[in-house]
Amino acid sequence: MRIAPIAFAFSALLLSACGGPETSQGNNSQANISTDSHSPATANASGATNSMVMLAAAPPKDLALKIMHDRHEAMEGLGKAMKALHRELESGKPDITVVRAQTATMASTAAKIPSLFPAGTGPEVGKTRAKPEIWKQQDVFVRKARDFQAAAQAIDAAAKSGDLNQVMASHDSLDKACKSCHDPFRAPEH
Amino acid sequence: MAPEHLSNGKQPVWDLPVRLVHWTLAGLIAFSWWSVHNHHTDWHIWSGCAILTLLIFRLLWGFVGSSTARFSSFVRGPGAVRDYLRGRWSGIGHTPLGALSVLALFGAVAVQVSLGLVSEDEDGIYTGPLSGLVSITTSDKARDIHELWFNVILGLVALHVAAIIFYRLRGRHLTKPMITGRAMIHPGAQPMRPGKWWVALICLAVSIAIVRWIVAGAPPFGHWTPPS
Repeated sequence: MRIAPIAFAFSALLLSACGGPETSQGNNSQANISTDSHSPATANASGATNSMVMLAAAPPKDLALKIMHDRHEAMEGLGKAMKALHRELESGKPDITVVRAQTATMASTAAKIPSLFPAGTGPEVGKTRAKPEIWKQQDVFVRKARDFQAAAQAIDAAAKSGDLNQVMASHDSLDKACKSCHDPFRAPEH
Repeated sequence: MAPEHLSNGKQPVWDLPVRLVHWTLAGLIAFSWWSVHNHHTDWHIWSGCAILTLLIFRLLWGFVGSSTARFSSFVRGPGAVRDYLRGRWSGIGHTPLGALSVLALFGAVAVQVSLGLVSEDEDGIYTGPLSGLVSITTSDKARDIHELWFNVILGLVALHVAAIIFYRLRGRHLTKPMITGRAMIHPGAQPMRPGKWWVALICLAVSIAIVRWIVAGAPPFGHWTPPS
């Protein structure tokens, strides 16, 4: 019986992620998912009932693999933005436009994370470092994803305002949010 | 081997700095492996910096330390290795063959530390102190090799331990002298000429100073903020 509130919270979050500003930005990987008529993201938009069905029944394998591929790309993009941001902040004379480009990528990708991990896209389907614990402790996972989203939005807001000191100050909690989700939920590379 | 041949009482063969470097290095290599596999990348980085300090210290001590610590006493050519294998060697310290193993181990660890210095973790959270001096692509590549290179170190450590077991089966204890510093030596062998303690302190100070500079990102060439 514990699954019901979790599933509800999860689908509510999916909905909020879909309705968020990131959809209007027309980001590539979001567009990838949305163009597929069977995609969970589109299914979600039609209502909470549908999205709960989506969570209960795993997507077909080809769709699951596509979501996993998009997820990989999104996470890799996030990693690249993190590295570029780190370099820029360490360079001694950070360029605010470079900083902004990275934090914008982070904020838009972070908003998508929960929707990139529907049930049935774990290691039982294909090659992934996503641990089964993501779906066993979905409430913890979703909370951590939300924490990361908040951290990414905070640093993006700081970058947009042009306050480099605030960006520096937000950087640490961004790192911690990445790590606090990766440590329990991501398997080692090999 | 006849026991009376070696029964000259136990003599010093390894000085304290050599023994300390040996056991600290062994411990730190194990700790580096453990920490990075248990999500303590920050500890892993500091462990690497400590290993770098040991390497620099040992390099300096290899020129100005006790006689058995000096490269000039144990780095020998292939002729010496051949003589040793034929049983024609009666020195103290590293055997001509063991010296090759020592150089390989220190060399492999030096390569590993160098790769770590310019590496960056896959998430862009942790960076090596000198990673800012190279491109992101180079840092990522260095990390990949850093991970693979550990297998080289593991192989050499396995060989090292296998050799110790081999000698042990033939009646020679190598581990205890590395702890106590003393061993039975051939009656005709030159005894160890110890180094000076204040020279060891200078070597330590110099190695710490160099690592301190590297940990700052090697200014003025770069800048590094340690993990918080």
